[in-house]
Amino acid sequence: MYPSPFVYHAPASVDEALTLLARLPEAKVLAGGQSLIPLMNLGLAQPGVVVDINGLPGLDGVTEADGHLRIGALVRHHALQTSLTIQRRCPILAEAASLIGNIRVRHRGTLGGSLAHADPAAELPLVAVALGATLEIRRAEGTREVPAEEFFCGYLTTNLTPGEMVTGVGLPVFGPATGHGLAELVRRAGDFAIVAACAILDVDDAGRCGHVSLAVGGVGPQPLRMRRAEALLAGRTLTDPLIKEAAGTVPDEVSPESDIHASAAYRRAMARVMAYRALTMARTRAGTSWLTP
Amino acid sequence: MRKSPGEAFRPSPYRIIGTPLPRFDVADKVQGTTLYAADWRLPGMLVGRIFRAVYPSARIRRITVEEARTLPGVAAVLTAHDVPTNVIHEDPTGLGLTSFATPVLTAERVRYQGEPIALVAAESETQAQAALEAIKVEYEPLAGVFDADSALEPGAPRVHEDRNNLLIHWKLRQGDVKDGFGRADVIVERTYRTQRVDHAYLEPEAGVAWVDGDGVVNIRAATQVIEHFREIAQILHLPHNKVRVIAPFVGGGFGGKEDMTVEPYVALLAWKTKRPVRMVWSRQESLLARPKRHPFTMRYKTAATQDGRLVAQEIAILADAGPYPLLSPRVLFAALVAGSGPYRVPHVKIDARAVFTNNVPTSAMRGFGAMQVTFAYESQMDLLAERLGLSALEIRSRNFLRKGDRLPTGEALETSVALPSITSRAVEALGERSRPSGPSARVGRGFACNIQPYGRTVWFRDRAQAWIGFEVDGSLVIRSGVTDLGGGQAASLVQIAAEILGVRPDRITVHIGDSSLTPLAGGTFATRQLYMSGNAVLRTARELRAIMIPVAAALLEAAEADVQFADNHASVIGSPERRLALARIVAECARRSVPTAHLAGFQSAHAAPVDLETGQGKTFPDYTFGCHAVEVEVDTETGGVTLLKHVACHDVGRALNPQSVEGQIQGGAVMGAGQALMEHVALDAGVNLTTLFASYLIPTAMDVPDVRAVVLESGEGKGPFNARGIGEPPTGPPLPAVASAIRDAVGVRLEELPLTPERLYEALEAARQEKPEGAA
Amino acid sequence: METAAAAAPEPVRLSFVLNGHPVEAWVAPYETLLAVLRDTLGATEAKCGCGEGVCGTCTVLLDGAPINACLILGVQVRGRAVTTVKGLGTEGTLHPLQRAFVAHEAAQCGFCTPGMLLVAHAFLRDHPHPTRDEIRAAIAGNLCRCTGYTRIIDAIEASAGMREDPSGSTV
Repeated sequence: MYPSPFVYHAPASVDEALTLLARLPEAKVLAGGQSLIPLMNLGLAQPGVVVDINGLPGLDGVTEADGHLRIGALVRHHALQTSLTIQRRCPILAEAASLIGNIRVRHRGTLGGSLAHADPAAELPLVAVALGATLEIRRAEGTREVPAEEFFCGYLTTNLTPGEMVTGVGLPVFGPATGHGLAELVRRAGDFAIVAACAILDVDDAGRCGHVSLAVGGVGPQPLRMRRAEALLAGRTLTDPLIKEAAGTVPDEVSPESDIHASAAYRRAMARVMAYRALTMARTRAGTSWLTP
Repeated sequence: MRKSPGEAFRPSPYRIIGTPLPRFDVADKVQGTTLYAADWRLPGMLVGRIFRAVYPSARIRRITVEEARTLPGVAAVLTAHDVPTNVIHEDPTGLGLTSFATPVLTAERVRYQGEPIALVAAESETQAQAALEAIKVEYEPLAGVFDADSALEPGAPRVHEDRNNLLIHWKLRQGDVKDGFGRADVIVERTYRTQRVDHAYLEPEAGVAWVDGDGVVNIRAATQVIEHFREIAQILHLPHNKVRVIAPFVGGGFGGKEDMTVEPYVALLAWKTKRPVRMVWSRQESLLARPKRHPFTMRYKTAATQDGRLVAQEIAILADAGPYPLLSPRVLFAALVAGSGPYRVPHVKIDARAVFTNNVPTSAMRGFGAMQVTFAYESQMDLLAERLGLSALEIRSRNFLRKGDRLPTGEALETSVALPSITSRAVEALGERSRPSGPSARVGRGFACNIQPYGRTVWFRDRAQAWIGFEVDGSLVIRSGVTDLGGGQAASLVQIAAEILGVRPDRITVHIGDSSLTPLAGGTFATRQLYMSGNAVLRTARELRAIMIPVAAALLEAAEADVQFADNHASVIGSPERRLALARIVAECARRSVPTAHLAGFQSAHAAPVDLETGQGKTFPDYTFGCHAVEVEVDTETGGVTLLKHVACHDVGRALNPQSVEGQIQGGAVMGAGQALMEHVALDAGVNLTTLFASYLIPTAMDVPDVRAVVLESGEGKGPFNARGIGEPPTGPPLPAVASAIRDAVGVRLEELPLTPERLYEALEAARQEKPEGAA
Repeated sequence: METAAAAAPEPVRLSFVLNGHPVEAWVAPYETLLAVLRDTLGATEAKCGCGEGVCGTCTVLLDGAPINACLILGVQVRGRAVTTVKGLGTEGTLHPLQRAFVAHEAAQCGFCTPGMLLVAHAFLRDHPHPTRDEIRAAIAGNLCRCTGYTRIIDAIEASAGMREDPSGSTV
């Protein structure tokens, strides 16, 4: 009911944190704690060492440069939701953050923590994949960058190696004609999604689709890009029948499993419905002048 | 629809009764000063935990506790060996005949996942956890039986070696159903299934036990029933007067704290260690092992003539009782009595059975058998209406029971049966139909009526006592063994005493829930508390008043009939200037040796048990009738169902506190909505898959609309001031009402709960296959 | 690898502000804030309902923001301000929200009430004129099994209207 005993470290700098993680590869990083501490309360995680990174400076910024946003790993979900920069430059991220859990979870949970936890039904990993985000990962020896799609490798599994920590996320800023859509099937507001789809696309003056990205979550161990659907849409005028057709390719591209919340067949069918809704939302938004000056 | 307090409640003929008096306990609760069971601290208190079985069916070969006993901080590790009388006596008959022995700690056989095997007490949570992890049990898994139907097959594994798996079989026979079916123009036959549901009170099970200076074992626990002190005494092999159970305000009960929870375990540990012990269950432990609501399989065959009158109901109810009787026999009895619904049916045959399985135990939960059957009998009425081309309202109107009619048990209904007005008020209050929110959305409406007993079955000689006494300053003390689960049980006693004795509520203190210090009132269950202890306080207050009135009359120089007690004073009716403070009356009573305190009781009507072959006889004291009307929106692409409107109407006889009555109705309605749409304790071969609050879904504020409670007061009921019980009645109607609304929206009727999006989606897909041009 | 069993961590001194008053406790670093509040500081008004962050009965305000006390370590609030329901209102006077809950009977068993009040308080502070739907969404993360939520929303809505009322009723 309470966490098992552990040794606790609260480093004061990123370097100090990385040195600790290098020396203690089994240590768990404590960021928002909204995923780790429940596991500890339930006795499902019993780390011997916990490294609390909440005190590290420089990891909670939101900056914009060269058409990209850089968001620190410690930015809380609530801040993602309320940041004016994110609302203007990458509104899908603000929207996704607003759907996470409940207000209490959002005041503590972090972007980096959610991505590192890699729950396949979670909103932020899905959006990171749809955005083609890049994760900045640091270790004592240096820094590397990983595209989100490569970062998530399986159920609750990422390509972080011991001694590494997510320090930031880079993602492209939305253009003036970019539209986004996020559709999730949840039993109750705030629950983990059964399935979810995230679509981001640009539309040119002629109504033709430029860049398009469609990612689906809850249909496998990690969020997946639906490239067949994307290929169908790219360069074409986005009519409703075309969007339906693109969404129609999704069931064959996914291999969900059955669990107590939903059967595989239902997830497959709903992935198509959510994809259609996300794409439709994105197209509608792309059609309007989305960005306020 | 929101009223400011005090506004829009009907004027009451009484001063205090019928007013929305703020409850004293709510004032404490909003300040966080209420001490629930887990909030109690004593010096030297140990942490108690239960070691639970991991298999649903197994033989225990060996239990090794020696290592655990030697760990630092561990004060005790107990197994069955260490329990003086390792038996809880249960009643497998439902007639009050206790003859079934359930182990407190099991030593040889495991019969459900989570069954207690050992207990530990240690100085800290961490040390208690370490002790649990150091206990080793060698199991030999055995075949088990995991559904009610298989439990009855020949050759099914026996849950108890010495008997077959049939726990109870109640029968009701009225008339001759064969004759009835023979004369019918329409027969509808269906099977309905309701699921296992958890109480999910926000307060997990908890309690503290200690042995006091007089050697009395005290247990302060979140319980609905302080009378369990007798059971605990026999377990500890102590005289009954050496065990005391105290019930603080409970954070929700709903029947889940009606059987003993922590009491025997924490008492054993305190008695062994001679130190205070606290035991608090985790939510996951509660979800895993606490008894649940019975899943029912209900086979209904209902017949009517062309004019819409019911002629026959043949009903078979099968319930999964888990491995121990607990309250299953009584739950099934309530299902038997209510099974045919609030309708006149000349020919009724009901068989209600519960069987043993190796699934998690099942026992009392708000609605108690009479709520699950609502799903079946109301769905049947709707199907009949469709077949006969009648409206849902019309078919019910033609068959509603009326006061004076006999239930299928042969007993006459003695109080008002206001179903026609209840139903029309509920349906009317839905207002205008909402428009669908999008192209794939469909809106539908449905309503359902129900009958729910209140009070215990009359063969139990139910009784409650209360003590009321004046202090010399005119303030008042009430002592009642009632337990308060949040439904205002304590506050209602204050209201009743205030009305009769004229003491203002803020000058009344009520002490509740102490088996040594408050007169026993019976537990808070079966929607009996207002009926029993309310009547007990009413009688005690009236008798005390009658004792003191002559003294007041003498002092006021008036006739006794002209003296009233009101507003902390005794006064002459019609001459308000002739009045004296009640303290003055009390002083004069003392001078004249007239008592100013009184103990009295209330006994419910008593009758012999029903005939076991026919179910004929007197059963429950009375019934509450209701109707809920709902509006839903269905997302036809996902099967998702959103509740848009929910109206809940009940005749409560008299509402002692209209706000409390509305609150009970609203809460019960939402609990029903949760069972209708989303709640499910999922087991797989006896293994519980929903042991997280994240996976056992109860409604949040976003999942339900405002519940509009419509309260009718017929002025007839067996409770004090003609009140009727209202705790349980609101739970049943949402189940069929939502199913009916879905049918109205998309043309599909579901017969299994919960009505999940996936189930509805599959049904819609099946319907689409049949009619590709678009059914809904 | 350092194992906790081998080296039981020393208690550390934790200082923070609770309901406006400085407090100090010796705690193990692996104790949650909820455990520190309940077991060490006697602040049992913060409840334990699930340990998963789902139910909301452990809600406290951390520098004014509602959080799950069961999902943060005690040591993580060093130097910060924590508010429980006892920090609402003042000695002898109910906060308008508390008065509204009493007047509307927005509590039955009361177990969800401390958390509910704190979430409502933080919400009204940031959204002083909410619609009923906004209130409903604001409390969506706090479970209640007794009231069906309608009266809770009534009370919060009434309180939003009442917020200018300076008179408190004495407890």
